[in-house]
Amino acid sequence: MSFKNFATVFSLIVFSQGFSFAKVKFEDDILPLLEDYCIDCHGPDKSKSGFRVDRRVHLLKGGDSGLSAVIPAKPDKSYMIEVINSDDPEIGMPPKGGKLFDDEVELLEQWIAEGAMWPGQMEDKIEEGTDHWAFQSVDRPTIPKKSKNPIDYFINRRLKEEGIPANKKTDPLSLIRRAYVVLTGLPPQPSRVADFLCDYTKNPEQAYTILVDELLASTHFGERWAQHWLDVIRWAETNGSESNLYRKLAWVYRDYVIRVFNQDIPYDEFVRQQLAGDGMGTGEALGFLVAGPHVPAATVGQEPSAIRQARADRMDEIMQTVGASMLGVTMSCARCHNHKFDPISIQDYYSMTAVFQDIEFGSRFPEFSKEHPRKTKANEFWQDIAKNRNKIRKKTTTWEEDWGGYKEVHWKPIEVVGLRLNFWSGYVGLDEVEIFGLPTENINLAIASNGTKVKTDLVFAQQGDRFPVTRVIDGKYGTQRWQASYNKEKKQNPWLEFTFERPVKVGRLRMSSNREYYYETDYLEQKNKFNFDKFLVNVKLVDGTWQEIASIQDIRDLMKREKTIGDVIGEINHLAYKLSEEGPRPSFVGSFIKPKVTRVLHRGSPENPRDIVPPAAPKILSGELGVDNKASGRARRAEFAEWMVDAKNPLTARVMANRIWQHVFGAGLVVTGGDFGRAGAPPSHPELLDWIAAEFSNPSRPEGTPWSMKELIRIFVTSDAFTRSNQPSDEGLQKDATSSLLWRFPPRRVEAEVIRDGILLASGKLNRKMGGRSYRIHNVKKTYAQWEVLNNFGPETWRRMIYQERMRRVDDQIFTAFDFPDCGQVRAKRPVSTTPLQALNLMNSAFVVDQAKHLAKRATDESNTNLKASVIRAFELIFSRKPMNEELKVSLQIAKDRGLEIVCRALINSNEFAFLP
Amino acid sequence: MNNHEEKISSIGRSLLNRRGFMKNAGFSTGALGLAQLLSKDGLFGSDDPTSFTGKSPIRPNLDPDNPYTTRDPHFETEAKQVLIIFCPGAVSHVDTFDYKPDLTKYHGQKPPGMPAVTFEGPSGNIAKPFWDFKPRGKSGKMVSELVPNLGALADDFCFVHSLHTQTSAHPQGENFLNTGFTMEGFPSFGSWATYALGSENEELPAFVAINDPRGPARSGKNNFGNGFLPAAFQGTDFNAKNPPANLARPASYTSADDRSTVSLLQRLNGFHLEKYPGDADLAARIASYELAGKMQTSIPDVMDISKEPASIKKEYGLESGTDLKKEYAKNCILARRLLEKGVRVVQLFNGSDPSGGNGITNWDSHSNIDKTHAMQAEIMDQPTAALISDMKRRGLLKNTLVVWCTEFGRMPFLQGNGTGRDHNPDAFTCFFAGAGVKKGYSYGESDNFGFKSVKGKSSVYDFNATILHLMGLDHERLSYYHNGLERRLTNVHGHVIKQVLA
Repeated sequence: MSFKNFATVFSLIVFSQGFSFAKVKFEDDILPLLEDYCIDCHGPDKSKSGFRVDRRVHLLKGGDSGLSAVIPAKPDKSYMIEVINSDDPEIGMPPKGGKLFDDEVELLEQWIAEGAMWPGQMEDKIEEGTDHWAFQSVDRPTIPKKSKNPIDYFINRRLKEEGIPANKKTDPLSLIRRAYVVLTGLPPQPSRVADFLCDYTKNPEQAYTILVDELLASTHFGERWAQHWLDVIRWAETNGSESNLYRKLAWVYRDYVIRVFNQDIPYDEFVRQQLAGDGMGTGEALGFLVAGPHVPAATVGQEPSAIRQARADRMDEIMQTVGASMLGVTMSCARCHNHKFDPISIQDYYSMTAVFQDIEFGSRFPEFSKEHPRKTKANEFWQDIAKNRNKIRKKTTTWEEDWGGYKEVHWKPIEVVGLRLNFWSGYVGLDEVEIFGLPTENINLAIASNGTKVKTDLVFAQQGDRFPVTRVIDGKYGTQRWQASYNKEKKQNPWLEFTFERPVKVGRLRMSSNREYYYETDYLEQKNKFNFDKFLVNVKLVDGTWQEIASIQDIRDLMKREKTIGDVIGEINHLAYKLSEEGPRPSFVGSFIKPKVTRVLHRGSPENPRDIVPPAAPKILSGELGVDNKASGRARRAEFAEWMVDAKNPLTARVMANRIWQHVFGAGLVVTGGDFGRAGAPPSHPELLDWIAAEFSNPSRPEGTPWSMKELIRIFVTSDAFTRSNQPSDEGLQKDATSSLLWRFPPRRVEAEVIRDGILLASGKLNRKMGGRSYRIHNVKKTYAQWEVLNNFGPETWRRMIYQERMRRVDDQIFTAFDFPDCGQVRAKRPVSTTPLQALNLMNSAFVVDQAKHLAKRATDESNTNLKASVIRAFELIFSRKPMNEELKVSLQIAKDRGLEIVCRALINSNEFAFLP
Repeated sequence: MNNHEEKISSIGRSLLNRRGFMKNAGFSTGALGLAQLLSKDGLFGSDDPTSFTGKSPIRPNLDPDNPYTTRDPHFETEAKQVLIIFCPGAVSHVDTFDYKPDLTKYHGQKPPGMPAVTFEGPSGNIAKPFWDFKPRGKSGKMVSELVPNLGALADDFCFVHSLHTQTSAHPQGENFLNTGFTMEGFPSFGSWATYALGSENEELPAFVAINDPRGPARSGKNNFGNGFLPAAFQGTDFNAKNPPANLARPASYTSADDRSTVSLLQRLNGFHLEKYPGDADLAARIASYELAGKMQTSIPDVMDISKEPASIKKEYGLESGTDLKKEYAKNCILARRLLEKGVRVVQLFNGSDPSGGNGITNWDSHSNIDKTHAMQAEIMDQPTAALISDMKRRGLLKNTLVVWCTEFGRMPFLQGNGTGRDHNPDAFTCFFAGAGVKKGYSYGESDNFGFKSVKGKSSVYDFNATILHLMGLDHERLSYYHNGLERRLTNVHGHVIKQVLA
C-alpha cells in the first residue's frame, strides 16, 4: 500500500495496437454508426449515463456502469456489443427505434477485434483525478505565534471579514450548563453550580479549566459521546425487518464505545479495533460492522436469488457504516454504477466489499485478551464444571447436560466408524448435531467438511427437499434445519446415521433445534424449545458391529434413582447458565464466514457477477492494500484499517475532527458530516478544518497525544467561540442567521437523551449504573410480532437513556417524537423538529407525571417543607438557578393553589430546560 | 390563543407574530439551516450536483415556526388529500380483480414455465379462482364474489393490473410500497406528502395512520414513519379504539391542574423569550404547545362516532358480522371524518402482523386460502366499499384520491400443500378512485395466468410517482437532502402512469 499519489492524476494508458492489416475503416464504417445511433445521447452535449462516444478514450473508459464499452481485441468483453445485442429494454441500445442491423453489429465487432483503430487518437490518454477539496491532502495552515487558541484565530478572522461583531463571553451560569450538557449530556447539580460561580468570581479562567478537566474525566463523558457515534452507524439491538429480533449481547459493543471515549483510546486505535479488533483482543469492537439493520435468513424466503440479494444488501449495510462514519464518503452510491458525484467507481465499491467478505450478521464469541474480566471469570466456571463432571464419572459413564442452546450427552470415549441416533419422539427438528472425541478435544467430528456423511430413511426427507438431512452437519445454526415426523406406514420414528471418513474416537455429542436463536436473540416466547426429547445412541465399531452406547431414557431413570447424580447435573446446568451470563459468550457483534471471491455485480445485481476484484480501498485514495483474494478476512480488514488511519489519508482525520466539532458547536464546519463528497456541503472554514484535522492526527502541542479525542474536545470548549453568549443580535442575524460563523454560540434544542436524563437527575432518581444489559421497556414477544412498550417510566428505567434497549423502528412513546433516530439509516446529524406530539408526551406521559412528583418531593425534602423555599429549590434543580422575582411570584401562587408538582411539570416542559444556553 | 397573549410580554407577543418574526429573523436555525447554507453555496438550481435527473430539486419552503402551514403543490391538481387503504399480507389478484379464465381451463395442471420453488418452497398445480367472477356495473368489469361490495363500485375505480415489485418478502414489500425502498428507515409516502404540502387543518395531525384493530402491520412504524425527514412529518397512529399516546390529561390531574400548568408554562416561556429576541425556535416550541392543547379536544371529537346516524353505521357494517369487521368499520368511519376535517393523508390498514398464523391476521394465505381470504374479505369488503360510497355522496372524492393497495400478489398455482397460494412479486393489482383518476377503467395486464405483468408493466416506483403526481407533486423534484443525496420517494426511478389520469 502506498500513498505516493494521493489525489493526484492517474492515467489510463492506452496501448497502441501496431498497424495490422485492418479491414474495417473507422471513418467509413464505424463513425457513421456512432453518429447515427449513439451520439445524440452519448456525445459532448448530453453524455447520458456518463458515457460518450466522441473519443476513443471515452469508449475505452465506458460510462457509469463501470464497464469498458470497448476493450480492443475483445468484442465479447466489450459492453457496447453487449448492449446493442440485448433484448432487455432496461439495457438494450439504442433505446428507441430499431436495433442495429446484423451487418452493422458485425462491423463493430470486427472493428473492436482489430484493435478499435481510431486514426489520430491511438495515443490519447484519459486523465482521471479529482480537484475536489476533500480528496486533497490535509494542509496545516500556519497560524500566528501569539494565538492563544488557534480556533479563535480562524473564527475571528472570518467574522472580521464578514463584518459581524462577535458576542461577549457568556455568563458563568450559562457557561457551566453549556459545558456540562455538551460534555456529559447532563445538566450540573446546584451544589456544583454554586462552587463554580464562587470560583469564577475569583479566577474565571482557572475555574473553567478545572471544570473542563473534571467533565472530561467524568464517566458520563463517555456515555454522552458514545451516543453520537452510535447515531452515525444507526446501532441498535434489533435486526429491524419483519421479526425485528433482539440481538443478544449486542450491547457489549455499546459498552466498548463508552469505554473508548472514557479512556480516551486514540481515534486511530478506535478505528483499527472496530475494523480488525478480532486480532487485537477487542473482538467486541467488530459490533461496528454489523451495527446496521439486516433481514435474517428465516424471512428472506427460499428463492436462491433472494438469498443472494439479501447477502448483497447486508454487505451494503457494512459499506454504508464504514463510508458514513470513518470515510465521509457515500460508498453505496457506487453499488450499481460509478458514483455520480465522486471519483468512486463501481470497482471501488466491490473492492471495498471484498475487504469485509468474511463478516456476516450474527453472533460469535468475541476475542478477548487474557486479562479480560469475562475471561478470568469463565476459567473459574470451567474448573467447577470439570470438578462436577468428575463427580459424575465415579457413578456413571453416560449423562446429559442442558446448555440452554443445546443438549450435550457424554459417554466413555470409544473408537468407531459410524454413529446412529434413534429418536423416541414422533417429531424431530434439528439444526445441527456435533460429535466430539475426548473431553479435552473440541473438534467437531460430525461436520460435513471433515468428510462425515449423514443419512436417514427417505420417508424422513419431509416435503421433498425442503428440509434436507445434510443440514444437521452443515455447520450452520438456525432455522435452516432438518425436520421429520413419525412415519405411519413404516411405523418408524425418525433416525439419523453418521458415517465417518476414518475411525474416530467419539465421547460426546451436542444437539440443538435452533442454536442460532439461543446465541443470537433473546426475549422471545418459546425461545429455547428443543424439538427432540429422548433418543438412543448406537455406534458402529471398527469391526462393523453395532453397540448401544447411551440411552437418554436410562440416564433419566438413573437421575431419578440416584438423586446425587441429578443434583450434580443440575449444578452443571446452572454453571452453564452462569457461564453464559458472565463469561465470554456469543454476542451479536458479527460472525465470520469463509470469504468468497468478490466480483463486481453489474448494475448492482447479484445475478450478474462480472470481473473479479481484489480487496482494496478506493483507487482515488491510493487504496491498494497489498492483499489479494487469498488473504484471510482479518488480514484484509487489518490492512484496510492501516490504510484508513494512514497519515496521508485526507479524509479520516477531517471527518472525525469535523464530527467532534459538530457535537460541540451544533453543526459541523462541513454541515454534511457523513458526506465530504461533491454532493456534500463545502467547509465553512476550510483552513480551520485542516488545522483541526492536522492537530488531531499529528498535534503540534508538545504534550499532545496523536488522535486524542478528549484533547481535541478540550481545544474546542476552551475557545472564545465556545464560551460566547448566545444572545441574538440584529447584525449577526441579518448576516448569518444560522450563526454558523459563530459570532454567537448557536442555541439549540437539546437531544431526547438530555431531556430525559436531565429530568431524572433533577428528580434525584437517576441511577448511575454504567453498562451491562439494557433496561427494558418492551414485552417478551412471539417471533413474528411487534415489540410493544410495556413500561417506559418505572424505577428499573431510571438509568441514562443510552442504556435503554434500542429497538429499531419502535416508537418508545415519548422520545421518538424528539427526533430520536429509528436506527434505520445512518444519521450523521439528527434533524430537530418541533411538534405538538412532543408537547403531549412531555405534558402527559406517565414518565413525566411520575418524575414531576419525585421532583416536587425532592424539592420539598431539601427545603424543610417551606413552600417558597421548595419552589426556589425546584428552579435550582431544573434550571441550575434561582427564580427571578416575577417567576417566583407566579410559581408560588400555582404551588399554593395546585401543588408544587404542577410547578415541576411546567418547569420540565419549559423552553429554558429544553434549550442549550 | 388569547389567553396566551395576555400572559406574554409585549416583546414575546411580537415575536409570536409570524410575519414580524420572519422579518426579524430571516431564517431560523431549524430545518432551513442546511437549505440556506446550500443555497448560499450555489447548490440550489438546475446544476445542483445532487440531482440525478437534471431537474432541480424542490425542497419545500418550511416555515420555521410552523412546519405544518399549507404549502402549494408543484402544479395545480384536483387531489388535495389522499386516503390509502393498505391490505398487508398480499391480496390474491387472481381471486379478486384480475380475471383469468385460463386458470379454470388449466386447473390442476402443472404450470408450464413456472418456477419449481417460490418464496415458501416447492410449488404445486394451477388453481382456478376460488370465487366466481361476474361482470359489474356499466363497465362490465369482472370482479369476484369475494368482494361483492367493492365489485359494485367498479365503475368508479381505476385498476392497475400490471404492477410488479422487487421482493417476495412481506416486510420488504411493505417498505417498498410505502416508502419506496425495501430497506428500513426511509420516509413513508405520507410523510413525504405532508413535508411537501403541510396541513389543511392544524388542529389535527397532518398525517394519520389508522392501524388495524389487530395491531400494526409487519413493517410496523416504518410504513408511516418519517425516516430521515424531521419528526414533524411522522404519521400519528391512532384508530377508532385507541387515541394517540399521551393525548389525554393524566388521570391524576384535574382540568384546573392542566390550566395552571399551561398558564405557568406560558409565563416562564414568555420571560425566557424576552432574553432571546428573534429566536424562532423558541417561539415555535411555544406554538407547538398551543397546538397540542387544541388536539386534546379535536382528536377526541373526530374519534367520537357515536353521533353518526344509524343508517351510516349500518352501511359501514357496524351492526353485522364479526367483531373484527365492526372494529374495522369504525376505523373506516374515522377515516372519513378525518378526511372531512382536512387531514392531508389518511393511511388505513386492513391487516396486521402474522403472529396469529397464516391468513388469520392479514391476507397472507399460504394455506386454506378459501377460508382465510374469505375471512379477510368479510372484514374488508363492506366497510371499505361503504367508506368510498359515503365519500362519493359527500363530494369528498372531488378532492380526495383513494388508493387501495397491497404489497404484492399471489401465485396462480398452489403451494406444495395444495391449499394456499404463495407470494407473487411479478404481478399484482391495486386500484385508484376519486380525484384526478379515470373511472371504470383498467390499465395494464398480467399474462393469461396472472403470473407476470406483461402489458403496461408498472413498477412500485411508477405507482408512487403517479400518486405524487395526482397530489400535484413532481416525484423527480420533491426531495430532501440526506447523507450525500437528494433523496426522493422514488429513488432515481419511476414514471407517472399517465393512462390513469382523468
